[in-house]
Amino acid sequence: MRARDVGLASCHSCGLLLHLPGAGHTHCPRCGSAMHFRKVNSISTTWAFLLAAMIAYVPANLYPVMTVVSFGKAQSDTIMSGVIYLFLHGDWPLALIVFVASVLVPLLKMCALVYLLISVQRKSHLRKHQRTRLYRIVELVGRWSMVDIFVVALLAALVNVGAIATIEPGVGAIAFTSVVILTIFAATNFDPRLIWDR
Amino acid sequence: MRPMSLRHPPVRSYSELIACHECDTLSQIPTLAPGRAARCRCCGSVLLRNPKGGLDRPIALYSAAFILLLLANAFPFLTLEIQGRSEVTNIFGASRALYEAGMGELAVVVFLTTIVAPALLITSSLYVLLAVRLRRPLPALRTLLAWVSQLQPWVMLDVFMLGVLVAFVKLGNMATMHVGISLFAFVGLILVSAAATSAFEPHLLWQQIGYRRGKPHAG
Repeated sequence: MRARDVGLASCHSCGLLLHLPGAGHTHCPRCGSAMHFRKVNSISTTWAFLLAAMIAYVPANLYPVMTVVSFGKAQSDTIMSGVIYLFLHGDWPLALIVFVASVLVPLLKMCALVYLLISVQRKSHLRKHQRTRLYRIVELVGRWSMVDIFVVALLAALVNVGAIATIEPGVGAIAFTSVVILTIFAATNFDPRLIWDR
Repeated sequence: MRPMSLRHPPVRSYSELIACHECDTLSQIPTLAPGRAARCRCCGSVLLRNPKGGLDRPIALYSAAFILLLLANAFPFLTLEIQGRSEVTNIFGASRALYEAGMGELAVVVFLTTIVAPALLITSSLYVLLAVRLRRPLPALRTLLAWVSQLQPWVMLDVFMLGVLVAFVKLGNMATMHVGISLFAFVGLILVSAAATSAFEPHLLWQQIGYRRGKPHAG
């Protein structure tokens, strides 16, 4: 038996179950947050954040995330060229982790959210368990994409040694951070219970 | 504590039932032995956990995390040496460098995810746990407990640590790197906060906190 079918709503922040009359709104008597059967405007809000993330994804990959200036020479790195550098000069297990975190994860996360949204809008009955698990994974892995931004910040903080070398963060870093944050917002606004609604 | 508004009629609550937050299936709230978790029989997501050690274990772990957080931010984190010159940085230095490079927005994001969010999560968890443990209805108790679960995805200590490893490899060829005291505290902080999170179940705290004044009749 499912909660909404018998008129019960559970609080988003504390989990208390309440009988909600009709489509009524009330506040949770335990934690005070607004109570709804489902997250409000879940599908359209998720689409909005997701489309914004997709737009930001283009400059995030085209523009450099940082520029290394050493001995008068400037060399710019995009997300992808940074990964390639790690493959060539660093150890490949680390390069693989960074490749997964900063190239694969954002791309697959956006694809997964598109799939979840479209399947929910078409009221699909297929693979509900797998889709719920997919959502769980999307929620968990999103934050790891921030790793490249932290690298840029650390390099900029450390390599500041006057004339020898400086590292400047690039425009791509802002776009890339926007992608990560917008997809995190998209994922938290999606309501996985919609997968199970008839 | 703020009394419940009386504009609404007393609502009926079902304290012996729980709805899965991923598929909305209703289950009876089970009595769990310490260290056990209950999963939704429909979709398999975790409904409720009963971590070992009651309230004392998360209080101890979050106190340790609080001390490590202070240590991690108080001392040098990494030192870089190029041709006799050296540059020292701490965790805050990462945000400051972005700000100084004219990337204020990025600096704010890095500052929030590496310092503010962890600090808020640790202090508010500790505050809530102590309030429940000492049975004091301290102000903002409910708001802070509701916050704790919202904050979790924005705490990126572990991701930052991966960033440190990558920075090590990238700079390894051109400079010598020295590890500061803060880096050890930081690794400890990641491990201790992971243990604290798994010892902390907001659901059990909500059950102990109970309702605001104007308690709804049980269904």
